[in-house]
Amino acid sequence: MADDNPEINPAEPGASHNEARRTFLKQSSLLTAMTFTPGPIVQAAAAQFDEKVAAAFEKVPLKLEVNGVKHKLSVEPRTTLLDLLREQLHLTGTKKGCDYGQCGACTVHVDGNRINSCLTLAVMQEGRKITTIEGLANGDNLHPMQEAFVKHDGFQCGYCTPGQIMSAVACIREGHAGSEGEIREFMSGNICRCGAYSNIVAAIQEVKNGGQKV
Amino acid sequence: MNQFQYVRPTKQKAAIDALARDANAQFIAGGTNLIDLMKRGVMAPQKLIDINRLPLTKIESQNGSLRIGALALNGPVAEDKLVLERQPLLAQALSAGASPQLRNMATVGGNMLQRTRCPYFYDTALPCNKREPGSGCGALEGFNRMHAIFGFSDKCIAVHPSDMSVALVALDATVLVSGPKGDRRIPFNDFHRLPGDTPQRDTNLEQGELITAVEVPDGPFTKHVHYQKVRERASYAFALVSVAAALSLDGNTIKDARLAMGGVAHKPWRLTDAEKALIGKPATEETFRQAATVAMQGAKAFEHNAYKLKMAPNAIIQALKTAAAA
Amino acid sequence: MKTPEKQIGARMNRVDGRQKVTGAATYSAEYKLPGITYAVLVGSTITKGRITSIDTKAAERAPGVLAVITHFNSPKVPGFDTAGKDPSQPATVGGPIKIFKDDKIRFNDQPIAIVVADSLERARFAAGLVKGQYAQEKHQTNLEANKAQAFLPTSAKKNPKHPMNDYQRGQVDAYKTGAIKLESEYVVPTEVHHPMEMQAITAHWEAPDRLTIYDKTQGTMATRRDFAREWGLPEENVKVIATYVGGAFGNALHSWQHESAAIIAARVVNRPVKLMLTREQMFTMVGYRPYTWQKLGMSATPDGKITAITHEAIGQTSTFEEFTEATLAQTRMMYESPNLTTRYRIASLDVNSPIWMRGPGEATGAFALESAMDEMAHLLNIDPLEFRLRNYTEQDPEKNRPWSSKFLKECYQLGAERVGWNKRQLKPGSLRDGDWLVGYGMGVGTFGAHRGSSKANIRLLPNGTVLLQSAVTDIGPGTATAMTQIAADTLGLAPEKIKFELGNSDFAQAPTQGGSAIVNTVGPAVQEACLALKEKLRTMAASSNAAFASTEKEDVLFADGYLTLNGNPNARVPFADLLKQTDGGFVTVESKPQGDASKSFSMYSFSVHFAEVRVHVLTGEVRVSKLVSCADAGTIVNEKTAGNQMKGGAVGGIGMALMEHAVIDDRFGRYITKDFADYHVPVHADSPDVQVAFVNKPDPHVNALGTKGIGEIAIIGVAPAIANAIFNATGKRLRELPITPDKLLV
Repeated sequence: MADDNPEINPAEPGASHNEARRTFLKQSSLLTAMTFTPGPIVQAAAAQFDEKVAAAFEKVPLKLEVNGVKHKLSVEPRTTLLDLLREQLHLTGTKKGCDYGQCGACTVHVDGNRINSCLTLAVMQEGRKITTIEGLANGDNLHPMQEAFVKHDGFQCGYCTPGQIMSAVACIREGHAGSEGEIREFMSGNICRCGAYSNIVAAIQEVKNGGQKV
Repeated sequence: MNQFQYVRPTKQKAAIDALARDANAQFIAGGTNLIDLMKRGVMAPQKLIDINRLPLTKIESQNGSLRIGALALNGPVAEDKLVLERQPLLAQALSAGASPQLRNMATVGGNMLQRTRCPYFYDTALPCNKREPGSGCGALEGFNRMHAIFGFSDKCIAVHPSDMSVALVALDATVLVSGPKGDRRIPFNDFHRLPGDTPQRDTNLEQGELITAVEVPDGPFTKHVHYQKVRERASYAFALVSVAAALSLDGNTIKDARLAMGGVAHKPWRLTDAEKALIGKPATEETFRQAATVAMQGAKAFEHNAYKLKMAPNAIIQALKTAAAA
Repeated sequence: MKTPEKQIGARMNRVDGRQKVTGAATYSAEYKLPGITYAVLVGSTITKGRITSIDTKAAERAPGVLAVITHFNSPKVPGFDTAGKDPSQPATVGGPIKIFKDDKIRFNDQPIAIVVADSLERARFAAGLVKGQYAQEKHQTNLEANKAQAFLPTSAKKNPKHPMNDYQRGQVDAYKTGAIKLESEYVVPTEVHHPMEMQAITAHWEAPDRLTIYDKTQGTMATRRDFAREWGLPEENVKVIATYVGGAFGNALHSWQHESAAIIAARVVNRPVKLMLTREQMFTMVGYRPYTWQKLGMSATPDGKITAITHEAIGQTSTFEEFTEATLAQTRMMYESPNLTTRYRIASLDVNSPIWMRGPGEATGAFALESAMDEMAHLLNIDPLEFRLRNYTEQDPEKNRPWSSKFLKECYQLGAERVGWNKRQLKPGSLRDGDWLVGYGMGVGTFGAHRGSSKANIRLLPNGTVLLQSAVTDIGPGTATAMTQIAADTLGLAPEKIKFELGNSDFAQAPTQGGSAIVNTVGPAVQEACLALKEKLRTMAASSNAAFASTEKEDVLFADGYLTLNGNPNARVPFADLLKQTDGGFVTVESKPQGDASKSFSMYSFSVHFAEVRVHVLTGEVRVSKLVSCADAGTIVNEKTAGNQMKGGAVGGIGMALMEHAVIDDRFGRYITKDFADYHVPVHADSPDVQVAFVNKPDPHVNALGTKGIGEIAIIGVAPAIANAIFNATGKRLRELPITPDKLLV
């Protein structure tokens, strides 16, 4: 990464430039190939050649740790942390419920703090430690919050659940689970359209009152 | 989202230089608003300068004021011991904003630079002078339920969505900026702009300028304060109207007062005349009612936001009552 | 051996709970397929007219783009050309418009193009480069401005017995001549289901004539039928997988254009295509609860007997489908009224088609009926609960026949006690807690206890576990859990030894999840399949052990590794021996409603909701401080999951009452509310600790289990309970939802 010296950053300077470059590449590769190759191969060749070049220009290196696993990646700067987790690392437990930071389904922990992974770029998390729902259990042993969600039926369709659980764990760690009212306020960033709120609060209260380490 | 160049300077000067060089560049800090807008095609910077690694996160006490680094996060600031002690109104306002997750991402500087939530601004298929100067104001004769009752123009009737800024304008804060031409201090009330003929400009920041900190002067407003936020649901919603109220009481007499409103104008709306109407008076509902009447002078509503003409003064009364009783 | 504990009625944890809390549950956009590609839809920016051109060049040139498909270049979809119904007849629900077939724009944000790329980022960027040009026509998107063109649905015109026809008992509009009368208008605005999982599909052509789709649908079989038809394929060539559905609430009862688009795109790029709608597109590209205007007139005697009701409704629909719902059904049967008139109409607007949203029309209708009941009780100076009791129906006044079961009075009693109804004051505005006015209100809900036909597959596995399969989906109620409990009791087997697989159209036929009918319908099929398996195993065991020959299937018990008999523990046949005798295949059983109980009885679930609200005197903010929901839903299979469903409906009702409102700017025909920042749904802080009580008495006629259904009655009646409580707190009667703070300050 080209800290302090933007000019040597390997990333391409922008869309219009990319588009012009791509048009040029596509046309030139087509022109050279067209005279002696059947149509489908021309297309495939143009596409592949182009993609490789484009990829080299458009991606930047990224190192981060997810659920204790270190990753060395190459990503487009515009890739959000959420899309990186779901589409590239196949950690689909983190959910996309709105993509605008308005529902909390994408909640993960970054260096222990809960955030909405849809509103941060993956490259901004260089060197950080990410924990997702897949990293919460200890092997086959569920995290106490996961156990409590099952016991209190803190979900219905299950789609907001990973975000609720990540948020619930943080809610206790932050010291925001002191009363039912406080839990409801500090869980309000996680929408459950099925409306399992009462049960989620019961699960959090049980874990909080049980005094287990979260 | 468009492709863009991404750089991550660790020194303030490098960041400022990078931005100054490129009119199509943007700083990115928390990203909670910018990424949202980029996803919808409302903003399309060609270069993002990630300033999160700049050392601007400190909250420190200095001579007569509290200095909060521009990159301090909203959640931690709201729970910071110094902030809670010296500026509880600011802590309340911060806690009323967004959600715990977003408060863990959003920075103090970024919070000030939030763009309006006007739905016409957010939809590239609809007219909006702020997004596309000259395209018209969709809200003026449209669905203007959330819109301004003060300080609007025929070009734009949007409101500023920040809670934090309402407290900061009430508390006479100062915005510290650093730019290619050096450092300067902007009184908070001069930081945001009214729309006038240039609604595309939200603030008086110049090209290349970076917010480095905000200074909140120490004052007597450590006890009788209240941030009243009226919204459509109990949490995690933008304000219909909000009020930052701070009183300094001597017995039941108001020695000093600060009052500002959110959700009513293109900028956080300081109510200095209403403050004058409070000072020296007894802290009674009648006094608060009179101040609210003063505060509402010049307010004008549109088709769908006439309710604010009643909700705003009521919220002022409620905020002052709660502050006095605190 | 020890007989396993009875599972029906137990508070069993969900069988798929572990998957859901660990992130292992896989939803439609989460299947890892080789060569997966990403699609993004481009919507029209006009509301009505024709597409004159679409500039796709920039998108096609953008990095990673594999295809940009519009009506100019879309491949032929065989089902789009087959001669269907008479084109002069309007289509009915189930016939989505044919995507990329023509240049016609029928609503704003109608998909005009689909962009496929090798990454989501690239697809999204390229989609932004597609620009349509249009010849615009004048549009209509406002129901209030179009009430005059409302019409009787074609289905009713064609069939005089159709329930959408006008209904009459006694004299027409008799309330108008009543001594004590009221006449009020009510509005329920457009609301959007907004399940947390946005609509998503992964389409994969496994061969030129074999299609697999991982789809967010409430009915795998219905979806299979729709897309098999669309592509002219035998149904068995189409497989629909919906193992987990991230909420739906009715939203996925219809096959939508985006699904067709993804399938077309997968065909074009010849790779699997993943498409997830954006939150904005959840307002426009799928259905919603339609804006509905209602008028209700009622008259009563001074001692509180209703003498007449007239209830009229006009709901919005699209120009290409006639959407109808049972908005007026509850009014016809809930209260004694010798004179009763209902009139239902729809009006076509330039919008996408609505689709049933939880508690569908009944929830809309109940807002008017239950608000009017409260208004009349106030007019008569009678407690609203007492007023309802004075007009209680001991048999169905609409069909003049007995209820299959009705324990609504018990619900009233349970709920009134729990909410503290005795604290309610007849005079509004009487209770205050600091700056908050306090009030109490109630609302009643009902929904038909429907039971359809279903099959179930069952087989014994060598390890002594039993596998059941059904094409049914689980959108959240806990279907697999309830079915496991039913199977456990019928088989006499511990639930851990039973696996219920669902959400796959290759499994045994089952209806679409909806209308509160799944336990009623699939439950009996599971029960009968279990008995059939027992009988099959008994007869197979009989060939090696005579004791099994002279007994009944009910005596067959499953033990650890072998089959045995109740009262004869020495009779043992190892499972391995049994499986040797068979192909190990499934026993398939079909279960249909038996007899003509549905003709002799009126079958309904009932609910009542009690709300305690606080209204801030200065700001107009409303907080629901207590919400008690009581239901007569027959047998409760699992109080934990059923209770959760009731709580969820109550929270949905808070949204309906206080905040949900999708707004179109009629100048543009375009939604102004586009996401969760301006279309509010309840958050944690909006919800009290919802209290639920069930009467839990079996219905003797709906099915052998005694169940009646929960999903709809959980929300029907909640919004009026809250609105009535607001009246009781403030004296302000608000007849247009949602009741936002601004309306309380007027």
